[in-house]
Amino acid sequence: MKKLIALVLTVAMLLTLTAAMAEGDRVTITYSYWGTPEESASTQAVLDQYNASQDKVTVELMCIPNEQYTTKLNSMATAGELPDCGIMNENGLLAFANAGLLADVSTMYDNSDSKPLECLTFKKDGETPVAYSGCNEILMLYYNKDMFDKAGVAYPSATADGAYTWEEFIEVAKKLTLDKNGKTPNDADFDANSIVQYGCVIDNWTWQLEVWAQSNGGAWFSPDGKECLINSPEAIESLQKVADLTLKEHVMPLYLGLADEGIVRSVASGTVAMATGGAWNMGTCMSGSGINFGIGVLPYMKEKVTACTSGPQVVFAQSKHQREAMDFIAWYTKEENSWGLIDSGIWMPLLEKYYTDSTAMDTWLKSENFPIKDYDMAKAVLVDYTKDYAKSACWYYTPNTSDFIDLLRSVLSPVWSGDSTAEEAINANYEALKASIEDF
Amino acid sequence: MKPVHSINRMHSAETRTAWLCLIPSVIGLVCLTYIPLIAVIGLSFFNWKGITAPQFVGIANYIRLFTVDPYFIDSIKVTVYYAALSVIGSLIFSLIVAMLLNRKVPARGFFRAIFYLPYVLPAMAVYLGWSWLYDNTHGLLNYVFNQMGAGKILFLADEKLAVPSLSLIAVWLSGNLIVIFLAGLQNVPRVYHEAAEIDGANGFQRFWNVTLPCMTPIIFYNLLMALITNMQVVTPALALTSGGPGNATCFMSYLMYRYAFISNKLGYACAISTIFFLLIGIFTLLLFATSRSWIFYEGDDAK
Repeated sequence: MKKLIALVLTVAMLLTLTAAMAEGDRVTITYSYWGTPEESASTQAVLDQYNASQDKVTVELMCIPNEQYTTKLNSMATAGELPDCGIMNENGLLAFANAGLLADVSTMYDNSDSKPLECLTFKKDGETPVAYSGCNEILMLYYNKDMFDKAGVAYPSATADGAYTWEEFIEVAKKLTLDKNGKTPNDADFDANSIVQYGCVIDNWTWQLEVWAQSNGGAWFSPDGKECLINSPEAIESLQKVADLTLKEHVMPLYLGLADEGIVRSVASGTVAMATGGAWNMGTCMSGSGINFGIGVLPYMKEKVTACTSGPQVVFAQSKHQREAMDFIAWYTKEENSWGLIDSGIWMPLLEKYYTDSTAMDTWLKSENFPIKDYDMAKAVLVDYTKDYAKSACWYYTPNTSDFIDLLRSVLSPVWSGDSTAEEAINANYEALKASIEDF
Repeated sequence: MKPVHSINRMHSAETRTAWLCLIPSVIGLVCLTYIPLIAVIGLSFFNWKGITAPQFVGIANYIRLFTVDPYFIDSIKVTVYYAALSVIGSLIFSLIVAMLLNRKVPARGFFRAIFYLPYVLPAMAVYLGWSWLYDNTHGLLNYVFNQMGAGKILFLADEKLAVPSLSLIAVWLSGNLIVIFLAGLQNVPRVYHEAAEIDGANGFQRFWNVTLPCMTPIIFYNLLMALITNMQVVTPALALTSGGPGNATCFMSYLMYRYAFISNKLGYACAISTIFFLLIGIFTLLLFATSRSWIFYEGDDAK
């Protein structure tokens, strides 16, 4: 009897041991994500798929409620307990990198068949890649086709070659602005106080204004993110040009840029003929708006340019398994894993092959659910324009942009309402604006 | 001697039970209120961004707040301005509505529900709805004004009008005050009204000399609660204005939130909290100090 028990125990022990050894081959890494466990169920499903697809790495999901995310990461950083990799907010990213908390990810996509677009690389001091975005977004022009047809005006161009100059843009906007008697700003008896349809909206939700400084041949920051150039004549003039659409030309409704809703309150609500917006708006509000809309490239002042951005996926420097974490992120950010967001038009693909390889491109733009049915239009704006004219938004290379953008929003209010000029407002507040990107 | 002794023992037993019963709430109060409060005051003397260890900087945070900070002084002004407008507005509005609802109007229950309803609606939905009413170009209010030929009113886009416009929403949201006022009104003794009526007092005189004095304890309570709630205002700035136009709606709680959770300057945000705490404390003390002179308690001989 005793022998039997001993035998059973030995066998049991051996079994446990082998099981433990099999487990021991696998490296466990953690991936942090914002959201409650219920909200993150789909992310968990993707992780399960990864864990089942290979036998080297087990990825565990760490769910942190959205509103506590950065605070929690900060305290984990202090305690040296950061996860191996995770999603982050683009605003706090470079401060994290400057504190030495992010791994250099230049080799992240080495084992992958395609790399992310260059403009989607977050660079410490404008040089070292410390993160890639999880997808892509660009700024573009949305327009209401019915309003253009009614006014007998040709649609805005989908190719950069035919992009409106700023003056052409104003001319077209004037033809599409109507007061309650149907008069346009070109008519002598036009009543600017009773406009029922506006020609255009340049979204002045603060960060989206950077692209106009670049369009006018300027910038907000130097390429290493250390110098604030918003007081350059080009940058100031670009802000004034946007403000003048409302103040002088009467083709744009008065917005103070205080909320992120430019497109919702303009083209999507059927009150404005054309408006700038992010590519995500195709899926988030335009496709369900019932508006017969089209997309085109942004007008330009001196140089054709658009902004691109999206939230980063990082590997933390404290991780002991950086290679595994990088391989996982490279796999995780593959478009197939977020296809629902991509084919509904909310996300644009991250990897270069979708912008260069026609097979990959077609799976995206010819997808049945894709909101833009006109293939040539979609390809011209979303592929060619992105590939040739997209520039990284400021947080890809400048730390502490959130303080800068908040302050700029407050500084620009009187510019939009016409109480002061862009030059007065920026020069009066330049020192404070400059100080806001320096950490205190 | 014996009875006294037993009374003493009974007292001490009661005291013990009282203390035992108080323990849970005292633990809660200490752990969730006092310790965090002291921690916040302590942290306000540190430069702490969350990522690195806190670094003692003395009163540097406070000096920066009052000298260099581009928002802080404005934020104190607008918070006090908003609180004053909202508190006075909502007290007057809810007292009037409560008195109307206290009369025998038809469908009284329905109207009571209607006036209470805004208070239970989700804040985000309320502010979004109002933002469409207030919209500069396509808003309902501006449409109406335009039809009347009155021109445009930039409710949220004008630095001078932004705070009053938001206060109006706060007044509209004051359903809870109405309920408390209603309860108070029902406790005003009928005999006083009858006596005043026999003496020939008209409606206004009865309101001024009977209803109002009897309501002062309730008014004081509502005043205090409304003051504290409205000083802590943050949702409209988050939902509608992002603190603008300019700094016109950059309320202290909103500024604190932005520094603490968006730019991760936790020590600095704690300094704002500390000043905010002192400010609310001062206002509350002022209210209590003046309360003796204007609150009428029934059966109180001191008056």
